[in-house]
Amino acid sequence: MHSITQQHIRERLWYRYQRRLAPYLFISPFYILFVVFALGPLIAALYFSMIKWPGTGPMTFLGLANYLELFEDEIFLKSLGNTTYYAIGAVFVILPVALFLALLINAAVVRAKSLFRIAFILPVLTSTVAATIMFLLMFEHQYGLFNVALEAVGLNALKWLDEELVKLSVLLVAAWRYTGLSMLYFLAGLQSIPTDVYEAASVDGAGRWTTFWQITLPLLRPVSLFVVVVSIIGSFQFFAEPLLLAGGGPNNASLTIANYLYRVGFSYLRMGYASAVGYILAVIIFILTLLQLKFFGAFGRS
Amino acid sequence: MRTSPKLWPRIEAVAAHLFLAGALLYMSIPFLWMIGASLKKQSEIFRNPPTFIPDELVFGNYVNLFVEFDFLRHFLNSTFLAVVHTLLYLFFCSLAGYAFAKYEFRLKNLLFLLLLGSMMVPGYTLFVPLFVLAIRLKLVDSYIGVLLPGIVGAFGIFFMKQNMESIPDELLDAARIDGTTEFGAFWRVARPLAAPAMAVLAVLAFLNSWNDFVWPLVILRTRELQTLPVILAGMVGTYRMEYGIVMAGSFLSALPVLILFTSMQRNFMQGLTVGALRG
Repeated sequence: MHSITQQHIRERLWYRYQRRLAPYLFISPFYILFVVFALGPLIAALYFSMIKWPGTGPMTFLGLANYLELFEDEIFLKSLGNTTYYAIGAVFVILPVALFLALLINAAVVRAKSLFRIAFILPVLTSTVAATIMFLLMFEHQYGLFNVALEAVGLNALKWLDEELVKLSVLLVAAWRYTGLSMLYFLAGLQSIPTDVYEAASVDGAGRWTTFWQITLPLLRPVSLFVVVVSIIGSFQFFAEPLLLAGGGPNNASLTIANYLYRVGFSYLRMGYASAVGYILAVIIFILTLLQLKFFGAFGRS
Repeated sequence: MRTSPKLWPRIEAVAAHLFLAGALLYMSIPFLWMIGASLKKQSEIFRNPPTFIPDELVFGNYVNLFVEFDFLRHFLNSTFLAVVHTLLYLFFCSLAGYAFAKYEFRLKNLLFLLLLGSMMVPGYTLFVPLFVLAIRLKLVDSYIGVLLPGIVGAFGIFFMKQNMESIPDELLDAARIDGTTEFGAFWRVARPLAAPAMAVLAVLAFLNSWNDFVWPLVILRTRELQTLPVILAGMVGTYRMEYGIVMAGSFLSALPVLILFTSMQRNFMQGLTVGALRG
């Protein structure tokens, strides 16, 4: 009798204990991996960015020398410029097109909505490698589909992968692969706007243009914030597209920060210098994200 | 002249459809072009004017892909990694998402903020230290090294938290009264109820692993272990690139995710946008 009660108490204690402990156990895998594979490396990267190290052998502490060198490194500055070009293209060209497509699909008059939705989402599922390979063939100078189409309507063939146009070509691949995803986000945002808001606007005699600027766009703000942040973070991490289209060239004209980091780290084996490139990238993304949040007023609301 | 009141909306509708059709062409032509080219001889790929449907259907590119490039092995490598990644990712993300959705505990808000903040850290920044760590832990050239850093992630946890908040506490409490452990309540009550959301997350996880390029490229040194995107990328820019074979490879590598997606298209569309709407 005595032992049964004790066992009973022990069981109850264990039961209460596991209940208190459970949430910590459930979330612990993430935080263990976070510390080992993100926070630790993030701190290590800061140290690495201040050393000279060819991957093996002794490390030499340099202080800020890597960063100072970066600001005079023409190839790095070029990759920074190229990456900025891609980010601007993604936000100011691809996103408005995506929003426009979402508005069209959402419009009452449009038929075959699901056909368009599926067609626009299929590229999102394709790997960047496969996507870039498809476009590589279409950009081909003599037999590629783009030039064949241009010549068919009486225009001159373009050198898509030359220094002048290669960045635009990278954006064309990016547009193919990412427009559908942004469109889907916008579409979800549009569909969450209650219809009576529009009815009220139309009773007030608001035209379509006014309705869009005064009602639709402000109500889309949370979605827009998300899409813009994701687009900027994504375009600052372009890697496969420029690498496979043109090897980052010609003359580094398409090289991104990520391409340069990989080249410096794994081809030149300058681990310290590559880490400095990575840290600049992190700082840029951090600042841009904060600016977005401020611009969209995310701090004020919540 | 005044147009009739009915005419203008009709013109608009036509214009809208034309614009959408243009976008549809841009989105679908690369696929069709790839499939076409994969069934052509190299000489027909480089022909002007081009042919959309091959004059002469050849399957040699596909044969070469399997014989010369050992395509099946790399296909199975990618499949294995994607399946294992998906299962682990689903388990750990739903478990953590469940904890954030259904428990009150100390530091919960702070920990969740940290989780969201971790999404801002670009992977490339961690590249060199991660590689060094992988060498130290002897993870280079192993599938554990490919999988381990990604078996649980902030996005997946966030996604599952959003979806598991709607699970009624009464059901969980009923299970507890029956003497189930906390993990039992998760496994027997919460997990089945969250199955639709987990299906969506499964597709996303599979997709991410299947299409991942940079991390396997860095971690896997032996060619036999490599995944499809790395092998495909390696075919590009080699001396005398065989476009037909590369296109056949791209097509076959895109096929599983396209099939996976179309088989559960509706769920997937809704699932993709969860983060944007509530975030």
